[in-house]
Amino acid sequence: MSHLTDEELILHYYGETARPDQPRVEDHLASCEACQAAHADLGRVLHLVETTPTPEAGPGFERDVWARLEPQLDANTGGLVHRSAQRVSGLVHHSAQRVGGWFAAPQWALAGGVAALLVVAFVAGRFSGGGPSAPAPTATVQVNNAPDRVLRAAVGDHLERSQMMLAELVNADPSHPEVLSGEQSRAADLVSANRLYRQSAEQSGDAAIADILEDLERVLLEIANAPADTTSGERADLQSRIKTDDLLFRVRVIASEMRQRTQTGREAGDRGKQRPPIS
Amino acid sequence: MQESDPQVVARARDGDREAFRALVERHSRYLFGLAQRMTGSAQDAEDVVQETWLKAHKQLGRFEARADFRTWLHRICVNCSIDLIRARRHREDAHDPADLEEGPLSERGSEEQAAPDRLAASAQIQERVQEALTRLTSLERAAFTLRHVEGMSIDEVGVKLGLKTSATKHSIFRAVRKMRSALAPYVGASL
Repeated sequence: MSHLTDEELILHYYGETARPDQPRVEDHLASCEACQAAHADLGRVLHLVETTPTPEAGPGFERDVWARLEPQLDANTGGLVHRSAQRVSGLVHHSAQRVGGWFAAPQWALAGGVAALLVVAFVAGRFSGGGPSAPAPTATVQVNNAPDRVLRAAVGDHLERSQMMLAELVNADPSHPEVLSGEQSRAADLVSANRLYRQSAEQSGDAAIADILEDLERVLLEIANAPADTTSGERADLQSRIKTDDLLFRVRVIASEMRQRTQTGREAGDRGKQRPPIS
Repeated sequence: MQESDPQVVARARDGDREAFRALVERHSRYLFGLAQRMTGSAQDAEDVVQETWLKAHKQLGRFEARADFRTWLHRICVNCSIDLIRARRHREDAHDPADLEEGPLSERGSEEQAAPDRLAASAQIQERVQEALTRLTSLERAAFTLRHVEGMSIDEVGVKLGLKTSATKHSIFRAVRKMRSALAPYVGASL
């Protein structure tokens, strides 16, 4: 008499034995003491997992969650201009914190400047009537363009950096473990920025950008969290997936588009500044 | 007296920030436990909790007032955990060949017998369960948790995780074997 297999016992425990197998499994269990014991042992182990409490969050966890969450809620509910201001300020702040040193000061100044411009734009928009047909003052158009342009430039820059990393990864020899390990901290940095840009794109309804950022985030996460002992096969698999999904190509296209849009916006802004005041 | 969830949710839906904060304070610890069980990592669980609240905030207008708020949050949290796990899926598909080489349950010897003094140490058991869970890959843990804790059928788990039924079964089998091999001494099992 052959005993029930592991799989049969597990499926039986969960009540998922295939219907045709049920009579055989039931009959065997009813008559075989060894399998009855194995089944009971399995039940005890699984019951232990079920009843053991999971580790508790640390003290003050709720407060920390709220502290991280609250600024993002504004982005969730605020208008586009307000959201962009937050994202840009957040990202610049984030970069400044990472880079530190002398570079931090101008970045902070930029963040403050953008936020100030946005407040002016927002208030001006509110008091000018805000309707699409209402002629907006030139100054308002200019300040409205500024944050958008900064955001676009930041996303473009992020995509450029991501595509450089992906290109290096795709063209590297997968038999070398450092292909992945050398890129992990870079990927982790890109993931944080990517997440914010993606959420911003989602909220502003820019589906194309949000889609590419979502695909990019998956790959970046995979690189950032790859275990130290990946095999060359796994590394080759990752390379092939990046190629198959055309991710690198799509990132390149969008990055180039963002660059063009930023350039066009900058030129339009410059022309606006040179225009003589209307008397 | 503490306000009930439906009352606080109603205020939060009207844009009351403090009401939403009260919900965060009331349910975050529970969500952390759930996310931790799903992801097996405290850091990932924190991210999942964060994402859960962002989604909940965004979708609060669609929440049915008659439904249970925690159940609704629970569902969002499970989905956020699955999103995170699926994003990592490719890198963790590797299995432990040694684990698969084990013979049938009923034919296995009793190599790891429990020491009686350890059986009483519930904190130690809890630690051991957590340790065993961390030995599972993300997919194994997710499949196991969805089947074992959430009570989904294997087919439902497969749909959630984007796996074929056979792959789902194998993830669950591997997870159960790993848990059994780690925990059998604590339940006096002769595996």
